[in-house]
Amino acid sequence: MSRNAEAALLVGAAILAALGTAIVTAAGGDRPDAQTALTFIIMLAAFGSLHLAFRQWAAEASPYLLPIAALLTAVGLVEIFRLDARAASLQRWWLLIAAGLGIAVLFLLKRLGIEALLRYRYLFLAGALILFLLPLLPSSWPLGGVEVNGSRLWLQLRVFDTTVVRFQPAELAKVLLVIFLASYLASRHRALSTMTRRLGPLSMPEPRQLFPLAAAWALSLVVLVYQRDLGASLLLLALFASMLYAASGRLSYPLVGAGLFVAGAVIAAQVFDHVQRRFDAWIRPWDDFADSGFQIAQSLFALGSGSLTGSGLGLGRPDFIPSATTDFVFSAVAEETGLAGSLAVVAAYALLVAVGFGIALRARDPYRKLLAAGLTAAIAIQAILIIGGVTRLLPLTGITLPFMSYGGSSLVANVIAIVILARLSHEIGNSASPSSLAVASQLRGKGNAK
Amino acid sequence: MSALVANVLKLAFVGMLYLFLWQMARSIGTHLGADVDTSRKPRRRTGQLTIVRSDGQAGTRVTVSDSVVLGRSPDADVLLEDPYASMFHLRLTMDGDTMSLADLGTTNGTYVNGRRVTGPITLNPGDSVQVGKTIMEVK
Repeated sequence: MSRNAEAALLVGAAILAALGTAIVTAAGGDRPDAQTALTFIIMLAAFGSLHLAFRQWAAEASPYLLPIAALLTAVGLVEIFRLDARAASLQRWWLLIAAGLGIAVLFLLKRLGIEALLRYRYLFLAGALILFLLPLLPSSWPLGGVEVNGSRLWLQLRVFDTTVVRFQPAELAKVLLVIFLASYLASRHRALSTMTRRLGPLSMPEPRQLFPLAAAWALSLVVLVYQRDLGASLLLLALFASMLYAASGRLSYPLVGAGLFVAGAVIAAQVFDHVQRRFDAWIRPWDDFADSGFQIAQSLFALGSGSLTGSGLGLGRPDFIPSATTDFVFSAVAEETGLAGSLAVVAAYALLVAVGFGIALRARDPYRKLLAAGLTAAIAIQAILIIGGVTRLLPLTGITLPFMSYGGSSLVANVIAIVILARLSHEIGNSASPSSLAVASQLRGKGNAK
Repeated sequence: MSALVANVLKLAFVGMLYLFLWQMARSIGTHLGADVDTSRKPRRRTGQLTIVRSDGQAGTRVTVSDSVVLGRSPDADVLLEDPYASMFHLRLTMDGDTMSLADLGTTNGTYVNGRRVTGPITLNPGDSVQVGKTIMEVK
């Protein structure tokens, strides 16, 4: 597929967003108005400018990343518009901001090279930790944390007692953490995959090599307990475990990681009320229908009434689901486009993940491989956690659905992840690197060129 | 809005979703199925050798499609960093599934499985090819 085909698909995604917006407006009894045109123009402007930036600074990049992101964003915008027109217009602004930041990141990656990320890895770790912990700042400060729906995830900037902007710093922290982990694990993957010690039936590497895993476990529990955020905590641990697995090729890491989390969660459920309530709502949502089970029950009603092809955009009642624009956007889409539409969304994530892991497989050194695998895993884990959560396959965790949920921080972080993946895939085609691997890739390149 | 129009629009939206995905999935399928090293090029019959012993190039893979000349010259298709190699030392040719080797009349010669090559010779997987101090293994 060529860059031109990518451009055509991006126009297609913009048309889809406009079509959806028009259908929603028509379903409300109105004629399609400026909202439809605005959605089309902003989709085109945001993804078109990213596309032009790709042509300029990552010409060999995989042409699949942007269209899938655009498709998911389009479906998300339509459903957000259907639920809350004001949120949709904010989301359109965020989309433009995300595209602008994405282009800036791509330009920096081109100027400084991916190696720059490697050089400042501890800066990225520090940045990620600070971002994770920022919402714990007192809410009375101009820049302080706020508690929304029982989770302390938000950071708000206030000037003269009016909230200027709210941001979920953990979204960006996730990307920084992947960058750090990729460079950390790339230099240690050999040590992590040689098992020197034996512990009963288990063989294990040198204990000091396990320190990062232990630190990750501790961090994820801190997030769980103090920020009351099961989603971020699960995402963190799953991300650590999958990157350790990618680096070492040992299945024991994800298994031990899962074991640790279950153990931690069981203890947390005994000690903390809010964790216990989450689990009860998952196992028995109907027992406390009016209160803790309400969200998940409404989500299940939405999935059920959506049936095969849905109620039609603008014709269902997804507004019954609490926070339908953010965590439950998948249920809202499932109600109005049915199983057909929601499976298409799942398929789009699957394709995105396939493309991402394809980039990881082809990347030319362990660092780039891990970076691509980690960014892809982050998107995949989020999609699995929240789609699993709203369909009651997994305990419900408050986490955004990448590209689709309403929320600026999430959109910005995911666009940046896509841009880094694009730059990584661009470098597969171009191997003008001063590293020791240059000889090998030069040899290979010449052999193929004949 | 009549129920009929609503239904048509509903199906049009979902249909367009699937059309988009189909366009993507088709080309991603061929993209992912392709050989990992030659991602966006059409798949050709290629052979491969790995340098197993060398002063600086051990582990390097040489992919052969059509015809490739190995030698010490920077103009050779594949550069051999070996003082005993000639500027243009040997030619590897793919013909369908078979790879053959021809020594280009060199001073120090080419050895396949320890025997010096005199004329063009067919290579089989596992064969070792020696040029000076460099040993390659046919995959």
